[in-house]
Amino acid sequence: MQIKFALSALALAFAMPAFSQTPAAPAPPPAWKQGIDNTTQPVTLHPFAPIMTGTEAKDIQLSKLKVAPGFKVEVWADGIPTARSMAIGEKGTVFVGNRVGKNVVAITEKDGKRSVKIILKGLDTPNGIVYSKGTLYVAERTKITRYDNIEANLDNPGAGKLVVDGLDPTNGPGHNWKYLAMGPDGKLYFNIGSPENITMPLYNQAAILRADTTTGQLERVATGVRNSVGMDFHPVTKKLWFTEHARDWMGEDIPNDELNVLSKEGENFGFPFCHQGDIPDPIYGKYDTCANSTPPALKLGAHVAPLGMKFYTGSMFPAEYQNNILMARHGSWNKTKKLGYDVMRVVLDANGKVEKYEPFVTGFMTDDMADPPMWGRPVDVLQLPDGSILFSDDYNGVIYRVSYSK
Amino acid sequence: MFQASSTKQVAAGLLAAATFLVFTPSGRASDIEAGKTLSQTCVACHGPGGNSIIPGTPSISGNAAQAISMQLYNYREGNRKNAQMTPMAENLTNREMNNLAAYFASEKVAPPTHQASAENIKLGPALTQQYNCTQCHGPALKGIQHIPRLAGQQYEYLLSQLQGFKAHTRYDMDGNMTSAMSAVKDTDIPILADYIAGLEYK
Repeated sequence: MQIKFALSALALAFAMPAFSQTPAAPAPPPAWKQGIDNTTQPVTLHPFAPIMTGTEAKDIQLSKLKVAPGFKVEVWADGIPTARSMAIGEKGTVFVGNRVGKNVVAITEKDGKRSVKIILKGLDTPNGIVYSKGTLYVAERTKITRYDNIEANLDNPGAGKLVVDGLDPTNGPGHNWKYLAMGPDGKLYFNIGSPENITMPLYNQAAILRADTTTGQLERVATGVRNSVGMDFHPVTKKLWFTEHARDWMGEDIPNDELNVLSKEGENFGFPFCHQGDIPDPIYGKYDTCANSTPPALKLGAHVAPLGMKFYTGSMFPAEYQNNILMARHGSWNKTKKLGYDVMRVVLDANGKVEKYEPFVTGFMTDDMADPPMWGRPVDVLQLPDGSILFSDDYNGVIYRVSYSK
Repeated sequence: MFQASSTKQVAAGLLAAATFLVFTPSGRASDIEAGKTLSQTCVACHGPGGNSIIPGTPSISGNAAQAISMQLYNYREGNRKNAQMTPMAENLTNREMNNLAAYFASEKVAPPTHQASAENIKLGPALTQQYNCTQCHGPALKGIQHIPRLAGQQYEYLLSQLQGFKAHTRYDMDGNMTSAMSAVKDTDIPILADYIAGLEYK
């Protein structure tokens, strides 16, 4: 049925009469289409959106998900529409932010029963969320706010204290949602994405910044990062590792999205001049060489949309998972043959070199040529105190738990 | 000719319904039934089966469930505001929205109530391509997933939405429509609305 549907859509596409009279002046393309080459690109691709009202646990096709022997996936919580970034408090409260909603929710457990409660309302794109030493930090579109002693105040967290404001310089459409991570230096690390698919960024755009948690003092730690919506610090080396989305409309299989590692402050990762460490941009490539930027630690595949990532440090999974990266891939829309919609495992050797890149949870993608190709989209990864992990799925508004037993 | 196209329409409807059942986990018969029970208030304005005959009131049928639940959500959350719709959506749960969406998505689309001018029927296809309508809403402007169906939608509704996006007054989650409309000439908006409203859903 799916194939038949795709074929009939294709037939319709070819059956459309081609009117060529009245050639109007070409209009500027909308932001998401910016950078497209209409002569060589397919034009039936469209962005996906979450099911805003969520999918109930009873309708999740868990049996379709595949994990290695010994691992088990379950629905840990449902009813959290557009669930994205997650953080966990010392008392076990799991906080969930999102990109297209306005709330932050807290999931608490009492007598073995989990409940979901909205704790913050009316926020603007609260995608960045991190917990540290009693405080919940929330990065919205323009600002970062701290909510101290949050777990004791879930019923009334108050308005919080502003850490830093003015983080959306263009205030237009674009990559304005943020990811938030707590550095080993006690500072808040976050992204400011490129405002467009491909453009010459302003000073603080296409960068990773850090902010002091009380003064809000800003520093730019990485540049040339188109948009990073997932980052974590290596448990041993303490280096910052982050995922990065590469530009669209250059082709089915290029450029690769990236897994990067920061070796020195202010390091340049190439955007908009160089993609995946070795492809000069068709427009901006002539203004700088790939040699002037750091290549990725790992090419992740084109349009796989890597998002949240965490180093695994728990005691539940087999020993070989220690210090592995578990990475959520949201999956492509800007590609005919779709890719991603899974959680991947990245194994590093003692020197921090990538040794292995393999699937950890798959089965969300049912047909890479169908529309939609998937029934779920992983977004962020969080380790629980017992060593199991959670990952969020904003398409269904569901959080899954992956556990292991011999 | 008329006979043939309506048979095709039924076939397409069946195919769409079957495809929808395959794709959407919430599109089960029990959900559709629950949605139908809830739908009495909706059809008072949106018409039987969600096929509106009231200018300015959109048809709901012919949309994927995801597109319907998304708009109910937008009204409940205050993203979109409307004197009739806001109070309707305010007290609906996510489950109720999903059931209503499942029901209306399963309903057949009635032929358009609008007749476009001969001139606009000629201009429409090129304009809908030039302005990127067909890129997301599909070659036949039937919509897909969260992207609403346009073909045969009420003329006044199309007009007000397009003007709203252009004026940045209509809520737009990811900015795609606002962005697309920024390139559309004001004088082309009534042409687009007229052409699309008269377009048969097939």
